[in-house]
Amino acid sequence: MIRFEHVTKTYKGGITALRDVNADVQKGEFVFLVGPSGSGKSTFLRLLLREEITSEGRIVVAGRDISRLSHWKVPQLRRNIGTIFQDFKLLPSKTVYENVAFAMEVIGRPRSVIRTQVPQVLDLVGLAKKAGRFPTELSGGEQQRVSIARAFVNRPLIILADEPTGNLDPATTVGIMRILDRINRTGTTIVMATHDQRIVDAMRRRVIELDHGQLVRDQARGVYGIGTDVAP
Amino acid sequence: MIARLQYFSRETLISLRRNLLMTLAGILTVAVSLSLFGGILLLSKWVDHGTEVIKGGVRLEVFMTVNATKQQIADVRTNLEADPQVESFRFLDKAAAYEEFKRIFRKNPDLVAAADPESLPTSFRIVPKQAEFTNAIKRRFAPQAGVDDVATPEEALRGLLSATRTARWIFIGLSIVLLVSSLFLIVNTIRLATFARRREIEVMKLVGASNWFVRVPFMAEGLVQGLIGAGLAVAVVVALKIGFDSWFSSPTGFFRDFYVTTSDAVSIAVVVVVLGILIGLVGSLIGLRRFLRV
Repeated sequence: MIRFEHVTKTYKGGITALRDVNADVQKGEFVFLVGPSGSGKSTFLRLLLREEITSEGRIVVAGRDISRLSHWKVPQLRRNIGTIFQDFKLLPSKTVYENVAFAMEVIGRPRSVIRTQVPQVLDLVGLAKKAGRFPTELSGGEQQRVSIARAFVNRPLIILADEPTGNLDPATTVGIMRILDRINRTGTTIVMATHDQRIVDAMRRRVIELDHGQLVRDQARGVYGIGTDVAP
Repeated sequence: MIARLQYFSRETLISLRRNLLMTLAGILTVAVSLSLFGGILLLSKWVDHGTEVIKGGVRLEVFMTVNATKQQIADVRTNLEADPQVESFRFLDKAAAYEEFKRIFRKNPDLVAAADPESLPTSFRIVPKQAEFTNAIKRRFAPQAGVDDVATPEEALRGLLSATRTARWIFIGLSIVLLVSSLFLIVNTIRLATFARRREIEVMKLVGASNWFVRVPFMAEGLVQGLIGAGLAVAVVVALKIGFDSWFSSPTGFFRDFYVTTSDAVSIAVVVVVLGILIGLVGSLIGLRRFLRV
C-alpha cells in the first residue's frame, strides 16, 4: 500500500529531514511511527500527502509513484488518504454533522450519499447524539472523534494520524485508540506518528522508528522503547 | 450538479456578506471607473458623429442654387478640377442631399415628410490642399453662375474637435488608473476572503477537493463584484445616452449634427460589461494565487 524507496528529503534551507528511508507497509497494517521531535516523522507524513516532494528516491502509494504525480492529480491522491491531527482542524462555524459532511461535499459526493454516510460514521465514533453540537461545545476527545469521522467518511485506503492523542488524557486516549483499531479492522491502513509510549507498548503493532531522519528500527510487534531486532 | 451549484452560490454569498465593506468598495470603484470609461466612449462617439464633416477633411462646401442648370454644375466641376489649390472634391446630387437632410432632421419626421428631394440644392464638398486656401477658394467660387453659397464649417466645431481629442485621452487615462485600482481592490478583497477562510481551504485540500472546487466560490465573488459594478456603469451609459438625446435635440442648433445611436450605446455597454467581467475574474485569480499552491 505504501512503499518508500531510498527516500531522502532535503528542505530548501539545506536541512535533511529524511535520509535514505526504505519502508514497505501492506494493506490493512497498523504502523506506529516513533522517534523524538525533529526525527522526520512529520516529513514522512507530509511526503505521503504530497505536501512536500521527495528530493531523492520514490514513494509508491496504492501502486502509484506519487513523487512524480502531476499537480492536478494530487487531490485524487488525497481522497484516498484520511488525515487526523493533534489540533483536530475542525471548522468552528460548522456543527459536528456539517464538519463531517463538508469532507464529502467538497469532493462532490451526492447529497443522498452524504445523508446516509455521515450518521453512520458519527455512530461509529460514538457521537450520533451530538451531531448538532459545535466543536467548541465538545471535549477534546470528542473533537478528535469528529476529526476521525471526517477522515474516515470517504472510506480512504489509508489514514495518517499525526499525534492524534497528543492533547488528550490517558482515558480519552484509550477511547480514541479503540476507534482507530476498529477502523483498522475494516481493512484501512493506518500510519500513526506518536510520542505516546503507553499506547505503542499496549497495542503491540508494527513500529517504525526514525532518528535524525534515518530509519533506525522497523519491528513487527514492537514497543516504544529501544528495540532489539532491527530490520535489515 | 445541482448540489454543487447550491454549494457554490451559498459559499459565494457568505463570503460577499462577510466582507461587505470591501465588497462595496470593490463594486463602487468598478462602477465609477467603468462609468467614466463608458461615458468617455459615448462622448467620443457623439463628437465623432458631430464632426464627421471636418474629419473627412472637408473644409468647404459649394452649394448650387436649387435650379442650377446642368451646364452651371459642369462648369463649377471643371473649375474645381483645374483649381491648383483643391486637393479633392465630391459631388452630392439631390438624392444624396435628401439623405443628409433626413439624417439632420431625423427627429423631425414632419419636416422630412414635407421635403421634396427636388427642392434641395446639390453641392460640392471640397478638400483644399492646405487649410489656408479655404478662404481663397471660397472667394473664387462664390460669384460663379449657379452658386448659391460657399459654406465653411464653423471654426468652433474644429476647436471643439481638438479639445475633445485632448479631453478624451485625459479621461481614458484617468479611467485606466481607476480600473487598475478597482482591480487591486478586488485582489485585496479576495485575499481577505481566502485569509478569513484559510482553515476551510486547508481542510478542503486535505480531503482532496480539486483546486477548481476551492477556487470557484472566490472567483464567483470577484465576478459578482465586477458584474454589479459593470451593471451600474451600464446604467450610467444609458442615462447619458438618453441625456444626449434630450439635451441637444434642437434640429438647428450648434449641436444639430451631434448624436449617439442606440447601437453605439449597446456596443459601449457590451465593452463595459466585458471589462467588468475581466476585472472581476483577473482580480480574483491574482488574489487566489498565493493561497492555493498545493
